[in-house]
Amino acid sequence: MSTGDATLPAPRALPPWLESAVAQGLALLAAFAIAVGVGSLIITLYGENPLTVYSAMLSFAFKDITSIGTVLSIATPLIFAALAVSVCFKGGLFNIGVEGQFLVGMVTASWAALTFDFLPGLLHLVAVLLFACLGGMVYAAVPGVLKVTTGAHEVVTTIMMNGIAVSIVAYALNGPLKFTEAPPGQNVDLRTDIFEPSALVPDLGHLFGMGGSAHLSWLFPIAIVASAIVWFLFRRMRLGYEARVVGSSAGSARAGGIAIGGVQIKLFLISGALAGMIGMQQVLGERGALVQNYEAQLGFTGIAVAFLGQNNPIGIVFAAVLWAILSRGETALQLGTNLPREFVIILQGILIFSVVVVYQIAKRRLARRELQRAGAEVGLRDTATPEDEAPREA
Amino acid sequence: MSDERGAGRESAPPLVVMEHITKRFPGVVANDDVSLELRPGEVHALIGENGAGKSTLMRILYGMYPASEGRILLEGEEVSISSPRVALQHGIGMVHQHFVLVDPFTVTENVILGDEGSVILDMETAHQKVADLAQTYGFQVRPSAVIEDLSVGEEQRVEILKALYRGVEVLILDEPTAVLTPLEAKDLFTNLRRLRDDGKAIVFISHKLDEVLAIADRITVLRRGTVVGETTPAEASKAKLAEMMVGRPVLFRLEKPDVEIGEPILEVEGLLGEGKLNGIGLQVRAREILGVAGVEGNGQKELAEALIGLRKSAAGTIRLAGTDITGWPVADIRNAGVAFIPEDRHEQGLVLSMTLWENAVLGREDDPPFSGRTGFLFIERIKEMAKRLVKLFDVRARSINVAASTLSGGNQQKLVLARELDTSPKLLIASQPTRGLDVGAIEFVWRQILDQKKEGRGVLLISAELDEIYALSDRIVTIYEGRITGEYAPDAPPEEIGVGMLGAADTAEAS
Repeated sequence: MSTGDATLPAPRALPPWLESAVAQGLALLAAFAIAVGVGSLIITLYGENPLTVYSAMLSFAFKDITSIGTVLSIATPLIFAALAVSVCFKGGLFNIGVEGQFLVGMVTASWAALTFDFLPGLLHLVAVLLFACLGGMVYAAVPGVLKVTTGAHEVVTTIMMNGIAVSIVAYALNGPLKFTEAPPGQNVDLRTDIFEPSALVPDLGHLFGMGGSAHLSWLFPIAIVASAIVWFLFRRMRLGYEARVVGSSAGSARAGGIAIGGVQIKLFLISGALAGMIGMQQVLGERGALVQNYEAQLGFTGIAVAFLGQNNPIGIVFAAVLWAILSRGETALQLGTNLPREFVIILQGILIFSVVVVYQIAKRRLARRELQRAGAEVGLRDTATPEDEAPREA
Repeated sequence: MSDERGAGRESAPPLVVMEHITKRFPGVVANDDVSLELRPGEVHALIGENGAGKSTLMRILYGMYPASEGRILLEGEEVSISSPRVALQHGIGMVHQHFVLVDPFTVTENVILGDEGSVILDMETAHQKVADLAQTYGFQVRPSAVIEDLSVGEEQRVEILKALYRGVEVLILDEPTAVLTPLEAKDLFTNLRRLRDDGKAIVFISHKLDEVLAIADRITVLRRGTVVGETTPAEASKAKLAEMMVGRPVLFRLEKPDVEIGEPILEVEGLLGEGKLNGIGLQVRAREILGVAGVEGNGQKELAEALIGLRKSAAGTIRLAGTDITGWPVADIRNAGVAFIPEDRHEQGLVLSMTLWENAVLGREDDPPFSGRTGFLFIERIKEMAKRLVKLFDVRARSINVAASTLSGGNQQKLVLARELDTSPKLLIASQPTRGLDVGAIEFVWRQILDQKKEGRGVLLISAELDEIYALSDRIVTIYEGRITGEYAPDAPPEEIGVGMLGAADTAEAS
């Protein structure tokens, strides 16, 4: 025993949560470094200089305050999307339907914007946001209830409901919500009527001297608050605790008396409400109407961002901003280099890939450190031995 | 029995010599200067508590881990065993606790897997070879049978055949009886004796002392990674072996508290469900421990799950202290005063990835002291409670903030026990409460269960270990194919209870 202990470094005395936060941060940085490295290789193969390409991307994202505002406004819907994905994921549910819930949220919000235009000032906006969440919730409740009552797998049902959601938007734009006041003699893209200004989310960027093109609205701070609420839900509230138990060990949850179905439906509802907020940036912050060529796929991007942020509400905010910087880099590539814009997608893919690898390594290191402590401090072989950890079969 | 023992071939040179093996893992020295000799024609038992280093030592021999120090000699020559494949080439085979068989394949297909010979399979020859092997060693298993149709005992035979097919001379068995019924274990011992008489060296890893005394020719005891002694069944006794393993005397019979048995707490009548429960009726009274004995798979798991509300019964009633709780959800049954120690603590007891304090509150998170009406958790109170429980039950952990997965099995079980008993239940359902625990932890758990009687609680003890049933029960019933087949006094001879475990008493009753 003494021979073994002598060779071991003394365990550091960082509080576990801080240690895990530092490890997560380092892991993300390492993953980013790998992605940049592999990306450099590809850039070089294209005959460009990685340094110029990256600096073009970075300087474009940070070239002035308006540019920074644009990055944050791109990040805003991604934060909502990733939070929506992560809420379900913590409870062991794979909500692929965030995309559909976001689309339906846009439709219900637009309906509310046009219908409640008599409401004064802020009340109008509040009603619109409420209906955005409500639409997402109702649409998320369907797979939730199906899962709990019939056992239908949520991945299958949500994927199918995503398809239906696309048609719902098309129907709304062609039917009930179709514009009534098109400018005569002009060809106008299919859209709803322009909303009253009271339905729009006020601009935030101008307070910091950003140009109007940044479209940074109050939705960004709302997204930050939402991630704080999600953090609080899972760390400090009974529902979040029960959700984590359900997600980690359904058998123990059931034996402990947790009503698994109830927890799962609640998670779907929360997830749906968050998903409903995704579309608000484009509808209420940028266009002031629901248009036919809306920006889709944000729900799916949310899955990637949630993954990048390791389903941690704080991590998700950073991951969304990182993702936004890369997305913004597309424009920089087109302006300053010969690289195709798809390079950004490749870079995002590599980033996800290296995150998988690096986090696994980090996780193992943390587990090892934990064992090391257990062994060293308790001074017992009686704590878990590596043989319990080791794979059963070679 | 002892006359059946192998000669041990004292004169024969040892087949395998492990010299001064040391194995370090981060923070732990799993093996510290261990030396071991294996001779042809002997069953060599390797015993010790969980984590004593038995499995590690054998995994080094089987090439799964490299040793940090020390060397391995095979028939006098030093060898380097870098992988299980190399170990097999050297004639060393290992059968793990968890089998690695391909379920839809036949016995022969599984046996030749990884050693198929040429590109084109000669199934006829392989078939014949497997049949011959089975014949030689008296293994009752059909080469053409499909794995998924086999019992656990038969699957184990296939695993052993796999090793024999590759011509091993040294066969390592890691806790082979942990998954077997008593009868299957007996068959296994017969097979092992045949192999031993054929000159093979067999390593038998176990912490069940009765079995070790029955089968072993030599016994090596490990404690905390070092060899604390070598002995033979003739020289050793159960008590002595236990003391060597734990490092202090262990009581196999604890004193049962002398309390007067009270009113019925649990009354079960005609419980039916899903083919596994065929009309169970039983009663547990206050300050009484009722032992349910039976070979595993006769409805014990289903009974426990029906009582705690995890399983709906088709018919029958369950009354708790006079209240009909049939069909109630788990949470309500728990609130009414039932505590549950599941047979699989990883599946139904703990969330391994979560911390000790989070596990300590599982199932009680909506109780007033731990969360408010609005759904907020009172983390400080939960942590206080967890600290108290960890101290009270001597759960050895660095802090309550570590994950439950870092605890040993014994400490995990203590945590489950602490949580369940802290609710002051009327009834405790303890399902295989000491499964996989070592001697020291077993004693602790037994003491806790016995102490329930002093608290006026009733205990339903379900166990496949007769030892445990005897040590704790005030009354014993046997279960067979989902029915209660007999009731016995706590001092009834094992043969009598054995009859009930095989269902015979029931037939007698019926006729």
